Amino acid sequence: MAQLFTPGADALYRLALMTGVACLVGLPVLAAGIVRSNYVTGVGIAPAQPLPFSHKHHSGELGIDCRYCHTTVEREATAGIPPTQTCMTCHTQIWTGSDMLKPVRDSYAQDKPLEWKRLNKLPQYVYYNHSVHVTKGIGCSTCHGDVTSMQMTYRANAFEMRFCLDCHRAPEKYVRAPDQVWNMTWTPPADQATLGPKLVAQNHIRGGERLTECGICHR
Amino acid sequence: MSGAVAGGPLIRPDETLQGIGGAVTAIPLTHPGNRRWWIAFAGAGALLGLFAVTLAYLLYAGPGIWANNNAVVWALDIASYDWWIGVASGSLLVSGILLLLGAEWRGAVNRVAETLALLATASAGLYPIIHLGRPWFFFWNLPYPNTYDLWPQFRSPLLWDAIDIVSFLVICVSLWFIGLLPDLATLRDRAFAEATRQADAKAPTRGRALLRAQVYGLFASGWRGSAAHWQIWVQAYQTVALLGVLLVVSVQTGASVMLAGSLMPGWHSTLLPVSFLVNAVYSGVGVTAVIVMLIRVVYGLDALVTPRHLDVLGRLLLCLGCASAYCYAAEAFDTVLSGDAQARAVLVRRLTGDHALVSWTAVLGLVLPAQILWSARARTAPLALAAVGLLVAVGAYADHVMVLVVTLTQDFLPSSRLPYTVDLWGIATFAGSVGLFLTLLLLFLRYLPAVSIVESRRLALAEAPAAQEEARAATSRAARPAENPVAAPLWGVSATFASQADLAAALQAVSGIGHDHARLDGHGPVPLPRTLRALGLEGRSILPYALAGALLGGAGFFALCVYATAYDYVFLIGGRPRLSWPSFVVPSISFAMMAGCVAIHLALLVLNRLPRLNHPAFNIPGFLRASDDRFFLSAEARGDRFDAARIERRLAGLPAEAGRPIEIRRIPR
Repeated sequence: MAQLFTPGADALYRLALMTGVACLVGLPVLAAGIVRSNYVTGVGIAPAQPLPFSHKHHSGELGIDCRYCHTTVEREATAGIPPTQTCMTCHTQIWTGSDMLKPVRDSYAQDKPLEWKRLNKLPQYVYYNHSVHVTKGIGCSTCHGDVTSMQMTYRANAFEMRFCLDCHRAPEKYVRAPDQVWNMTWTPPADQATLGPKLVAQNHIRGGERLTECGICHR
Repeated sequence: MSGAVAGGPLIRPDETLQGIGGAVTAIPLTHPGNRRWWIAFAGAGALLGLFAVTLAYLLYAGPGIWANNNAVVWALDIASYDWWIGVASGSLLVSGILLLLGAEWRGAVNRVAETLALLATASAGLYPIIHLGRPWFFFWNLPYPNTYDLWPQFRSPLLWDAIDIVSFLVICVSLWFIGLLPDLATLRDRAFAEATRQADAKAPTRGRALLRAQVYGLFASGWRGSAAHWQIWVQAYQTVALLGVLLVVSVQTGASVMLAGSLMPGWHSTLLPVSFLVNAVYSGVGVTAVIVMLIRVVYGLDALVTPRHLDVLGRLLLCLGCASAYCYAAEAFDTVLSGDAQARAVLVRRLTGDHALVSWTAVLGLVLPAQILWSARARTAPLALAAVGLLVAVGAYADHVMVLVVTLTQDFLPSSRLPYTVDLWGIATFAGSVGLFLTLLLLFLRYLPAVSIVESRRLALAEAPAAQEEARAATSRAARPAENPVAAPLWGVSATFASQADLAAALQAVSGIGHDHARLDGHGPVPLPRTLRALGLEGRSILPYALAGALLGGAGFFALCVYATAYDYVFLIGGRPRLSWPSFVVPSISFAMMAGCVAIHLALLVLNRLPRLNHPAFNIPGFLRASDDRFFLSAEARGDRFDAARIERRLAGLPAEAGRPIEIRRIPR
């Protein structure tokens, strides 16, 4: 009797089986990798803005305080994007004829706001309040990275839920003394292990149980 | 089943191995009743189209299309899911128990029951997914490393259900496929014989015929009916059936404990899991009876599905009908006696309220029709049996609607007591899932053997005089080694026999030649337990693999629950302890069954060195009949000391009544 299949068919069949198994394992891994990649999360990618504003120059080199522009960060839910008038407090005096600053002057003259591309976004179903974080000792750089070193501004962290939960579960690892909140190059000091719990108690932060309740963020 | 069962023999006495193979494979190979099939398929396809339209609208508009903007938040969804999974559980339980009890007549029922279990699970499995508001996120219910840093809630029956349904599907596919494997080989060989005939006749359809044989061949995975294959196959089949039976209990109680554990009047009863299980098995047997009767009538399989089978199915339905009646009576008795006004009110609302029609359909459909089966004449009447089966299925659906809807409409908040009526889209969704089921069932009937060939053959060898006679008649011819020794390199020597007894005797005779230079094997159309001693395979067992797989899987899943819930994702919910071990046991058991099943499959393949599409054994002349009515001995050469002539002499010298082959051949590589 003749064979129904050639010997090569076996090799093909096994190859197909193994490919199937590899796909079963590999495709979810690939999908998970893509979802976490900077391509999707946008981490480290500086998009083109109406004009190339440099945080490094203004805040890092010139030493302008964060709150000079983001005025409501200590009092309101949003930190606030500065209006053109804030830019013009200085730029009516210096670099008044710069080509680079033409969009700012136009915006001022026509009374039309500059349309910056937003980098740090949260979904609608997440409640977030800047003031409570800042006043209880969570520094800017914990979420936004060292903005003072960014020539063009980019997203430093993907605001996935695990990023938030990491701190909400153990705030004592991230909480800072009040004078350190604006320090953009802050790293945990040597005594964070003792200082952290002390600050947590002092600021009435109830990490772990209370802060991981769903309704804390998803109101 | 003993002789006490009325209705004549289990198989017609003139059935032979070849006859059974021919009768069953004729359906997929020649498609009798083609026109009727196409009409039925068009109807099922239309329902499937309706399903597609409904799902598209559901995705567009959301689950509100089911008129569930009231306290009956699930509408018909959970009722349909419970009904489908009930049918699946019932069918799986029936086939599993028949297999484990070794009921020799099961061949006529098992294949249909296993197929129903698989297809009903497929229909059931869609429901939990489509009723999510955003079905494309269904995987959020599964434990996988996600960017939320969260685990699913292992204490929740919703997660148990997700694990249950995945395990259930795996076990159903597995049981169905293992049972089908040797039959696929029979189909492959018959299709190949037909393809060869067409190729010789230069028929215009010869290309398609060969392709058909190859497609069956791919799924048969190179099954050669070797004694070693059969040994593992029998064990694997039974072990997966055992896992399935255990899983059925876990799945059904899981689903019903969810309801019973709540404080809702009408659900909060320890009897609920029992009546769920009883009604599930009942509806499964009912639907199985309907489909078996349908196949029997349409394809004229009276010889294989005999009146005795009908009688057994009838008795089963009667028993379950009485059990169901007992459950209803006990529930009513318990409710009236318990003194809980809420529960009494639910009972009254069920029988006289807005949905009284549903309740009476349930009670009358489940309790009354089965009572005619006390009569032996009704039990052996196919039409009566099918009618009872259908009414039971309808009754079981009505029962689920009754249990869910009547309790939910009367919300604890009087302001939420909005009326619920079944709407068109709810019915369309269910009708569509029936369409999916029927479409797949019709495809199965057209392309795969509807009755187990192997089991029917085993039954014929045990009970049908014709099959036994055939084996004796063929041995009387004398055999001599073929005169023309092959010049090509030798793979081994083969010998052909008419019965397993001859094969076993011959194997015993040549086994002395030694395993060091010849690898002996037997091949046949049924399991070959009598050859195992001669082959030195006795005591080989798949159980350690199954046990290791199940234990590792179960322990692994339990450890995952403990790690996630007690350490990694501590989440205070309802004051439950961190280590809520009783609730971790349920999904762990389901997962253990699935892991054991996967381990069995791997063992089945690895121990049997399968898949192997091309094998020198297929070079044996007439080997196509190894899946039909012939038994083959193969002695594969191992090394230079292999002495073909000596084996041939030994085989030819055997006495005619104890192992002399019909034919001896040398097989080239």
